[in-house]
Amino acid sequence: MLQPWVREEDLAKALKLHSKQLRRILRFFEEEKLVTRVHRKENAKGTKQHNAAAAAANDGQPVTNKEGEVKVKMHTHSYCCLDYAQICDVIRYRIHRMKKKLKDELDSRNTIQHYICPSCNKRYSAFDALQLVSFTDEYFHCEICNGELVAESDKLASEETGDGDDNGRKRRREKLKDKQQRIEEELKPLVAQLDRVKNLPAPEFGSLQTWERANIGAFPNGDLGAADSSRNSQGQYGTPMPYIGETKFEFYILGDGVKEGAESGKNGSELKVLPPWMIKDGMNLTKEQRGETSNASKFDENSEVKDDKKQDSKDDQSIQEEYIKAYYEALKKKHDEASNKVKTEGDIHISDPQSERQLGKKYKREDEDEGIEWEEQQHTGNTTETYKLADLNAEAQESGDDEDDNEWEDG
Amino acid sequence: MFFHIVLERNMQLHPRHFGPHLRDKLVSKLIKDVEGTCSGRHGFVVAITGVEDVGKGLIREGTGFVTFPVKYQCVVFRPFKGEILEAVVTMVNKMGFFAEAGPVQIFVSNHLIPDDMEFQSGDVPNYTTSDGSVKIQKESEVRLKIIGTRVDATEIFCIGTIKDDFLGVISDPGAAV
Repeated sequence: MLQPWVREEDLAKALKLHSKQLRRILRFFEEEKLVTRVHRKENAKGTKQHNAAAAAANDGQPVTNKEGEVKVKMHTHSYCCLDYAQICDVIRYRIHRMKKKLKDELDSRNTIQHYICPSCNKRYSAFDALQLVSFTDEYFHCEICNGELVAESDKLASEETGDGDDNGRKRRREKLKDKQQRIEEELKPLVAQLDRVKNLPAPEFGSLQTWERANIGAFPNGDLGAADSSRNSQGQYGTPMPYIGETKFEFYILGDGVKEGAESGKNGSELKVLPPWMIKDGMNLTKEQRGETSNASKFDENSEVKDDKKQDSKDDQSIQEEYIKAYYEALKKKHDEASNKVKTEGDIHISDPQSERQLGKKYKREDEDEGIEWEEQQHTGNTTETYKLADLNAEAQESGDDEDDNEWEDG
Repeated sequence: MFFHIVLERNMQLHPRHFGPHLRDKLVSKLIKDVEGTCSGRHGFVVAITGVEDVGKGLIREGTGFVTFPVKYQCVVFRPFKGEILEAVVTMVNKMGFFAEAGPVQIFVSNHLIPDDMEFQSGDVPNYTTSDGSVKIQKESEVRLKIIGTRVDATEIFCIGTIKDDFLGVISDPGAAV
């Protein structure tokens, strides 16, 4: 999923999710400001235009708009794009709120008590206390059934029954403290990533229309649209981004030849180095795009052959990676509801890349055999490491790789 | 917090009051109607300090009543979240205690009472520290912080805490030691 603006139907296909489910998830993300969506009424022509834009950006190959029948039927197509400008702040805010909530519970400050009637399950808040007070005994009574109300204890800690008040309270505090610690540990990679990214300018793709226009324009001229120069860099018309410079990455495990990459390889063109914040978990990028440039002329035949072979296996992988990416985002969502689950999910999450690593390793090794130049460039790749969000994968693999190849250790 | 503001109200006056003392009758009616009431927006009207302006009366059709728009100055009391108030305890309960700060009632639940204070039922239910040094019972004065207000159209109710620093009992009622 290289293009910033993706049609939701395509996304659903790629993720193998039901489109209704996907739309629900995307709607949640949109409300949380993680994603921007645009709903556009288009006829078939419009969608073809979008296809052309996407294809032009990806392949760099001519796509002609068929001027055949023009259907006047208007369907609403939805496009979504990661909201780069806001996403860092949104995530930092969410983490802050989670931590604050835990802290408040722990200090039990300023939390308004709620009461529940055990028999009719009606909830009252402390504001209703006046109506609930009874003169017969010292407890609050339900308005409907006159049952004794029970105080609802801290929401994040579960009720302790049976034990005396003191013990229950203590255990709740322990639980909360434990939760707090776990949150710190598990969010550490995310927070580190945010730190790395926070000073970088957000990538600007412009609105859906400007992006499409720029991409369509990019093809015939061979020139880039102003707003999308960074995004178009995958085609053979990339102009080097000034602020990327020579950054290279050791990202070779995850990304394994994608169709677009392979095709461009076939064309004997140089692939553009993707800036660090563009690289998402699950993006199918060749090593070139991740920053390890290749001497295209030399390796063309070899890479072509390899690409063909790898194509099929990579397709499945790419789907897997995208699934993991969405999975990770769902993970973040779930984190708010119950941080308990995160740990187990994190374990599963990390085990997945293991399988990918195998394939990736092979791919890399074969290349290494071919030429020395690879190694030199890969060396420099170690110095800069800015990774995109959601890279539990990358971090897991990094550690694994160090064992295998000494050259790849950080400088 | 107390505020001195200008409010406006349409007063209806029965024709029997028309006469040389029309204005006085209007003002006393206003005072009777408004003082002591509570509006969600302004809070409790504590006292009317003066009448600024009385507009032209409009005779209602059908009846002989006349409506005067009256602008008046008054002192209002409106509690806010985060405000710190002194209040007098009115009732002590196992779930917490009720206190009054002027016209507004505040409830402090036991969850927001410091952990070392335990409820003691009996003749005079109260909350006491383990060493008996601090006691909260009826008629004690406490300083509390408002953590939430519920504002209806005509009623304001607050939740408070005494768990923070510098909050709690100010003075015990004269009877207790």
